[in-house]
Amino acid sequence: MKLTDREISDIVVLEPKGKIMGGPDASLLHDKLYELLENEKKRIVIDLAGVEWMNSTGLGILISSYTTLRNNEGQLKLANVTDKIQSLLTITKLVTVFDAYDSVEDAVKSFG
Amino acid sequence: MAKPVIHGDTIRVPSNPEFLSDVDVFLEGTLRGFGVDESAVADIAISVSELVNNAMVHGNKSSDEKMVTVRITRFKNTVTITVSDEGSGFDPTVVPDPLAEENLMHEVGRGLFIVRSLMDKVDVEATVTGTRVAITKAV
Repeated sequence: MKLTDREISDIVVLEPKGKIMGGPDASLLHDKLYELLENEKKRIVIDLAGVEWMNSTGLGILISSYTTLRNNEGQLKLANVTDKIQSLLTITKLVTVFDAYDSVEDAVKSFG
Repeated sequence: MAKPVIHGDTIRVPSNPEFLSDVDVFLEGTLRGFGVDESAVADIAISVSELVNNAMVHGNKSSDEKMVTVRITRFKNTVTITVSDEGSGFDPTVVPDPLAEENLMHEVGRGLFIVRSLMDKVDVEATVTGTRVAITKAV
């Protein structure tokens, strides 16, 4: 997995690309998240458009990110959830946990 | 540290997550060579990554000295992949229900549940010399 980020109106958009399967992937996202929190960036969108697939480790990373932000008065939104990932979120019932939007623009707007 | 070894339809990797991608490259290449469609390739790749993670962490206790073996076979319109570890045998089916409300926010514990959802057949054989999981999917 590769990870880039950009900022739109004080909201950080994280753009993982490739496959999220474990190993170094978890620490890459965790480290980025803590770096953002240290800089008081607490409104985060994860753009999943470039993620081919993820496994349960990837879902665990999303949960961890969601919980960490919530515990620090932040918010996490998902954008561009692919069919494959949507299917995983549905069968694991995590679809009830995450706020997901069809585009990054919609996700950014949802912060108000 | 030992390195991944590919021999025919089989890849053996040390129990280190840095080798997950070696397994995935070998697996997806082999499946595409079989003519498997992309959606099924992804389902199988997700499932194998779960099983290899389990084999490395729970089976081999993350020991670099112990290997995980992945074998891919095709028979008519089905693909079967076996994932074997060299641990002392663990039963991956003994996990809390990941759909229970109290477990929903747990970061781990969904692997085999996802495998069962994506595959047509899952067989687990745990012995004192290791655990072997065979998954089958019609393609």
